[in-house]
Amino acid sequence: MKADTRSGTGDPMDGFDTTIHAPNRLRICALLDTAGEAEFAVVQEQLDVSASVLSKHVTVLMEAGYVEQRKAVRNTRQRVWLRLTPGGRQAYQAHLAALRAIVGP
Amino acid sequence: METDEAIRPTPQQARATLAELERVQASTAALSATPWPRWFATVLTLYIAAIPPVYGGMTASTQWLLPKSAWSTVLVLATAGYLALFAFAAATWRKKTGVALRLDVLPKRATLPLAIGLPALLIGAVVAFRSTGQPAWLFAASGIGAAVSIAFHRAFVRLHRKTA
Repeated sequence: MKADTRSGTGDPMDGFDTTIHAPNRLRICALLDTAGEAEFAVVQEQLDVSASVLSKHVTVLMEAGYVEQRKAVRNTRQRVWLRLTPGGRQAYQAHLAALRAIVGP
Repeated sequence: METDEAIRPTPQQARATLAELERVQASTAALSATPWPRWFATVLTLYIAAIPPVYGGMTASTQWLLPKSAWSTVLVLATAGYLALFAFAAATWRKKTGVALRLDVLPKRATLPLAIGLPALLIGAVVAFRSTGQPAWLFAASGIGAAVSIAFHRAFVRLHRKTA
């Protein structure tokens, strides 16, 4: 999506989001935006981070209302599935638009 | 939504960040493009191949090979069996990949003609059979439908290998 056409009003830079911009949080958002929903262990493996680091970033994103989790049992063990909320998806797309605006044409 | 001029990246940093996001997206897309297991691709192919003759038998103006009620029973059983196996395959696929099942992974230029063309082919063959009484229409549609199903499975396999 082109930055300056994402919204008919306002500066694309308005979408720059410091909560999302932290590298691991941005990668989490990118993964969840592409996958739709992903298991915690898969996110951890794809991003090559420890469970505690991922958990910390997911907590921040959940507190911002950008990510939600769903718990499901698999092979008698509880698994956590993560996905972007509609607000989270919108914020991520707005942040992408801001990054593209920074890069320029 | 927070904004902070102090932490805004430079154009070079923003470009590097976007490149890293593309890498994450490509890697995730490879997971989403994981093909169905071969057994389910076979089930899907058989189901598609079965539709024209079964539907043709159901809607034939005169009885064709089996009573119409028998064709209807075959269709109901085949559909119920297919849906049950689809639910099982989808659940297994999700457990294996750890990501949501998405049906929009293949490019639209491939899936859109399929979404329109395959039903048109299957139903069109039944209409042609009713008009002409020639079962060759049904078997031809069966064969083409099966070939399309196999081709799409292979496309998924290639896409998965390419993006993995």
